[in-house]
Amino acid sequence: MSSPLASLARSVLDFAPPLVLAALGGVVSERAGVVNIGLEGLMRVGAFAACFAAYATGSAWAGLAAGVAAGVALSAVHAFVSIHGRADQVVSGIALNLIALGLVTFLLEAVFGTTGTAPVDTLPELPTLLGRSPYTYLAFAAPFATEWALRSTVPGLRLRAVGEHPHAAATLGVSVARVRWAAVLAGGALAGLGGSALPLAILHRFDNKMPAGLGFMALAAMVFGKWTPIGALFASLFFAFGNAAADTLRSAIPRTGALAAWHLDGILLAAPYLLTLALLGGFVGRAVPPAADGVPFDPEAKH
Amino acid sequence: MPEGKAGFGERLRRALAAGTALPSALAVASALALGFVVIALTGKDAAGGYARMLDGALGGPEALGETGVKAAVLACTGLSVALAFVVGLFNIGAEGQFIAGALGAAVAGASVRLPGPLHVPFALGCAAAAGALPALAATWLKAKRGVHEVISTILLNWVVIYLVHDWLVVGPLRAPSSGANVSASGTAQIFASAELPRLLEGSRLDVGLPLAVAFALLAWLLLGRTALGYELRAVGANAEAARAAGVPVARRLYLAMALSGALAGVGGALLILGTERRYPGVFRTGYGFDGIAVALVGGAHPLGVLAAAFFFGAMRAGATRLQLVGIHPSFTELIQGLAVLFVAARPLFAALAGALGRPPAGKGAP
Repeated sequence: MSSPLASLARSVLDFAPPLVLAALGGVVSERAGVVNIGLEGLMRVGAFAACFAAYATGSAWAGLAAGVAAGVALSAVHAFVSIHGRADQVVSGIALNLIALGLVTFLLEAVFGTTGTAPVDTLPELPTLLGRSPYTYLAFAAPFATEWALRSTVPGLRLRAVGEHPHAAATLGVSVARVRWAAVLAGGALAGLGGSALPLAILHRFDNKMPAGLGFMALAAMVFGKWTPIGALFASLFFAFGNAAADTLRSAIPRTGALAAWHLDGILLAAPYLLTLALLGGFVGRAVPPAADGVPFDPEAKH
Repeated sequence: MPEGKAGFGERLRRALAAGTALPSALAVASALALGFVVIALTGKDAAGGYARMLDGALGGPEALGETGVKAAVLACTGLSVALAFVVGLFNIGAEGQFIAGALGAAVAGASVRLPGPLHVPFALGCAAAAGALPALAATWLKAKRGVHEVISTILLNWVVIYLVHDWLVVGPLRAPSSGANVSASGTAQIFASAELPRLLEGSRLDVGLPLAVAFALLAWLLLGRTALGYELRAVGANAEAARAAGVPVARRLYLAMALSGALAGVGGALLILGTERRYPGVFRTGYGFDGIAVALVGGAHPLGVLAAAFFFGAMRAGATRLQLVGIHPSFTELIQGLAVLFVAARPLFAALAGALGRPPAGKGAP
C-alpha cells in the first residue's frame, strides 16, 4: 500500500468523512428551509468538545458523543433565533461561526492554557475495521440512509414539504416550527459529528486552526451536490480527492532545486478552491435550492 | 422621481433612528453583559478585565491612536460589506479583497518611485483595483453562472489567502534578503513617500482615519442623496421591479460589488501604508471577516457602520490589555459573534419589547 495511488485513496477515505457528514448536516437543515452557513462553527465546537471529552474521560466514544452534543447545542441557538425570532438565517449562521471562533479559543486557553495545539499527548482511539475508523463507514452509509428517509418516510416527506411549501404543510397539520427545529438540530448533530472526526480519527489532536475552512467546503459540497444527500456525498468525495491530489503533488515537489524556487505550494493549495469555483460556474448549471430555503415561516403571511 | 427619493431618505433616517440604532446598541450591550458572565464563570476578574480594556482603548493618546487606526480599517471593510448589502448581495469575500488590496498597496509602495503627494493615492488606487478584482469575479459568477455569491466569495477568500500567503509573498514578491533586511520576511519595505502621514505625536494615528470617515460620508451621500444611490437601493429592494423601471440591474450589481471590493482593498492598504510598511511574512488579521460584524451591527447604514467600526476598533485596541488578567484577546471575537447573533435576533427583541413594537424587518439589508 505504498504506491502513490494507494496513498491517495487512503487520504481520500480519511479526509472525506468530516466533509461528507457536515455537508449532509447542511442538506438536512436546508431541505427543511433553514439556511445553515454556520457549518464551520458547528464543526469547530464539535472538534473541540470531542477532544476535551475524550481527553477527560479516556473514552473516544464519549468524545464522539460530546462532539455531537456540542453541535446540537450550538445549532439550537441558530434554530431559536431563526425559527422563533424569524431572523435572517445567513446572519445567524455568520454569528455561529464568529461565536465558535471566539468561544473555542477562549475555552482552549481556559482549559488547556494554550491558544495553539491542545497539550494532549495521546487521545483514545476508536476501534477500526480494515484499518478504517467508524467515521469512514458512517460517511458512506449515512447519505444513502438520509436519501431513503427523505424520499420514502413520512418524517422525510414532511421535512421536504416544510422546506418547499411551508404553508401547504401547515394547512395539512404539520408543525413547521417543530419540523424545522428537528432538522436544524439533526444538521447540527451531523456537523458536530463531522468535526469530532478531526481529533478522534484523523489528526489525533486539536489545534486552534480547526476546522480550517472544511465547514465552508462542506457548504460548497452541499450546493455542488444540489441539496441531495447522495449528491453531497459525491461532491465531498470529489473535494477530498482534490485536496488529497494537491497534497500528494506538494509532497512530491523536492524541497530544493529549480522547482522549489517557484513556490508552487500556494498554487496547489488554492487549486481545489479554484477547481470548485470552475465546476460550480461551469458544469453544475443553476442549482435550485429548496423553495422556502432561508425564508422565515410566518403563519399569517399571505402566500 | 424626486418625491420618491425624499420618501426613501426619510424612511432611511427613521430606520436608523428607531429601527437600527437602538436595537444595535442593545445587541452590543447584551453581548458585553453576556461576555462579562462568561469571564466570571471561568473564575477570572471580569470587572478588572473590562476596566483594563477600556483603558487600553481610550486612556491617553497612544490608546486613542490604536483605536483610531483599527477603527479606520474596520470602517473600510464594514462599508465594503454594507455596500454589497445595499444591492442585496452578501459579500463574505471582504477578507480576501482586504488581503489582495494590502498586497497591491505593498507592491505599489515599494516598486514605484513617485513624489509624495502622488504616491499614497497611487498605492491606494492599486489596492482598490486589487480588491475589486475578486469581488467582480464573484459578481460575474453570480450574474452569468448563477453561483450564489455567499459560496463564491467564501471560496475566493481561500484562493486569495493561499495564493498571497503561500506563493506570492514567500515566492515572486519576497524581498531579496540583503544587508539590514536579512531577518525580514515578506515583501520589500515601501518607500517613505508611500507612508501615510501620522497625525498625533506619541501615537500611530495616521490620515487613514479621516480618509475612512470621508469614505463613510461619501457612501452616505451616494446612497441617500443621488439618483445612482437610489437605483442601487432599488436593485436591492426588488431587482425585478427595478429592472421594470429601467434600472440596468446587472451594471448596478457590478458597480456596487466593485466599490465593495475596492473599499475592502483600501482597508488593507491603510494597514500596510500606515503601520506595517510592507506585506509581512505573517499577516493574520481577520479585518475582512470582522467587517461583516461591523456592517451588521451598523445596520448596513454608512454612518451606523462608522459608529460600529469605532466600537469594535476600541475593543480590538483594548483587547490586548485583557491578557494582563489572563483573558485571551480572542474574547473580542466572542463579543462580536454574540452582538451579531443579537442583531440577527432583532425581530425577537422587537417582539419581546412590545413597546418598541416594530414589525420584523423584511428581506434585504438585515
